[in-house]
Amino acid sequence: MLKRAQFSYIVRESFAGFHRRKLTTGVTILIMGSSLLVLAVLTLATLNLGYLLESARASIDVRVFLKEGLATEEVAELQPRLVVIPGVQQVNFITPEAALHEFRASLGEDADILDLMDTNPLPASYHLTLNPNARNLDAVRAIRDEIAAWPESGDVVFNQAWVDALEAWAFRFQVASLIVGLVVFFAAVFVISNTVKLTMAANARVISIQKLVGATNGFIRTPYLMEGIIQGLLAGMLAMGLLAGAGHIFGDQVGDVVFFAPGQIAGFIGFCVLLGFLGSWSAMRKYLRLGSEI
Amino acid sequence: MATDISGTGQDKSSGPLDARTIINFYRVNLEYKDQMALRDINFSVDNGEFLCLTGPSGAGKSSILRLIAMDAIPTRGEVIVKGMLATKMNRKKIALLRREIGFVFQDFRLLEDRSVEENVAFAQLVVGVSNAEIKKNVMRVLTQVGLHDKKHRRPRELSGGEQQRVAIARAMVNSPKILLADEPTGNLDPVTAQEIIDLLFRINDGGTCVIFSTHDHEIVKTFGQRVMIIDGGKVKSDIQRRQAVDRNARLTDKMFQAEEALHA
Repeated sequence: MLKRAQFSYIVRESFAGFHRRKLTTGVTILIMGSSLLVLAVLTLATLNLGYLLESARASIDVRVFLKEGLATEEVAELQPRLVVIPGVQQVNFITPEAALHEFRASLGEDADILDLMDTNPLPASYHLTLNPNARNLDAVRAIRDEIAAWPESGDVVFNQAWVDALEAWAFRFQVASLIVGLVVFFAAVFVISNTVKLTMAANARVISIQKLVGATNGFIRTPYLMEGIIQGLLAGMLAMGLLAGAGHIFGDQVGDVVFFAPGQIAGFIGFCVLLGFLGSWSAMRKYLRLGSEI
Repeated sequence: MATDISGTGQDKSSGPLDARTIINFYRVNLEYKDQMALRDINFSVDNGEFLCLTGPSGAGKSSILRLIAMDAIPTRGEVIVKGMLATKMNRKKIALLRREIGFVFQDFRLLEDRSVEENVAFAQLVVGVSNAEIKKNVMRVLTQVGLHDKKHRRPRELSGGEQQRVAIARAMVNSPKILLADEPTGNLDPVTAQEIIDLLFRINDGGTCVIFSTHDHEIVKTFGQRVMIIDGGKVKSDIQRRQAVDRNARLTDKMFQAEEALHA
């Protein structure tokens, strides 16, 4: 249990490095903040890509075109069979006339071209809306394959190409983000570790005396861990501040970008604090090794 | 090889441990990388004893102090301090043991940016003493070393002897059982050195075991305590003198022989 005198010593020493080496500490926070800004931008982009993907997935629907010549009863019997397929949320029957109307609407000014046809070429179809958990390629393909095997169904289609492309692109982007994130992670740990090493080198005499008079490693290391944590915290706040500032200035030009939620900001800054902690920890091993005090 | 001239018949070389033994070395070797620093060292020190380690620079005196402080672990053999075996110690236990050992060095090792009072208080702070206790204990030891009126001074404002007194006050503030003094008079003029030695004697009189290392033969000559001569990492001589011998008496024949062994 820390005594009050020890607690105030630890707090005082945690901030002593900032006071004694203002420039070094300032540069460290700036470098780390810039690296973390890159990480924050990538994280934000990944997050927004995720939202985009989610919205694309939400728009996935399946259209089951029926073969021509089916009796009205056969068409009607299909509906309950479609509803019970796992992943299907809602089933709507689209008559050929409704399909034509929809098609005409989608053509807009070019809809006149349809007047050249004597008959309606569009077949009747069922429009399937899927449960959110079935809005992925594997589930949709499974539903399509099951329905396509029925003799009554003709083509079974969904907006596959767009979702395929988006998912592939998102995956590549996530891998790139992960690689850059790892580089930033190690760079930030390295930068903080070096700053804390400088502090410890400057305090080598103090540390040596602490060890001689019986200070535990826990007592010796706490102020340096705190210093790293504070640096990580400030660098994280700097990165977030810069990102929010950039969003404020360039927001109109980048379109509908969703910014971090408060919980995500806290998570990001918590991650930066962890980086600070790890940086300090790695710096201290050399100085807390047994020996060399005398 | 220990030589008993105390008349007690007691051999001080690593005998069986008894209640009085506070430090025991048994067949200790210490090796730094490829260099053998100590070879087959055997001795024990009793509670409240004053031991002078002497020998030329690089003889192994500091290595013995490092082993006592558990700043180094023997390559072979056993070092037992206050009943604790060096090879079985973890960092936490070493830290706790060091609270019972005071250290004094030739270069004082004071914190230049802190006052006399803060330097001494530092040793109490790390062991978790309350503010009120720290204040009281610091004042007590500063009075003992005669520096209570200079508690607000910085080390650079003090003479070498005064700085060493601060270091001794810091070493003593936690009331250690053992005081290790590594060449504490090395940077001091003879008069100041004698004052520091007298202070160490007074500390010893209070019951603290003092291990004093020096390469200065003139200082050794004045000792009426046990003198151990180290050379080439070995104990060349371990002479137990009668406590009653006057500190300023001439060297006995055996001490002359010891000094000759030192120069051999």
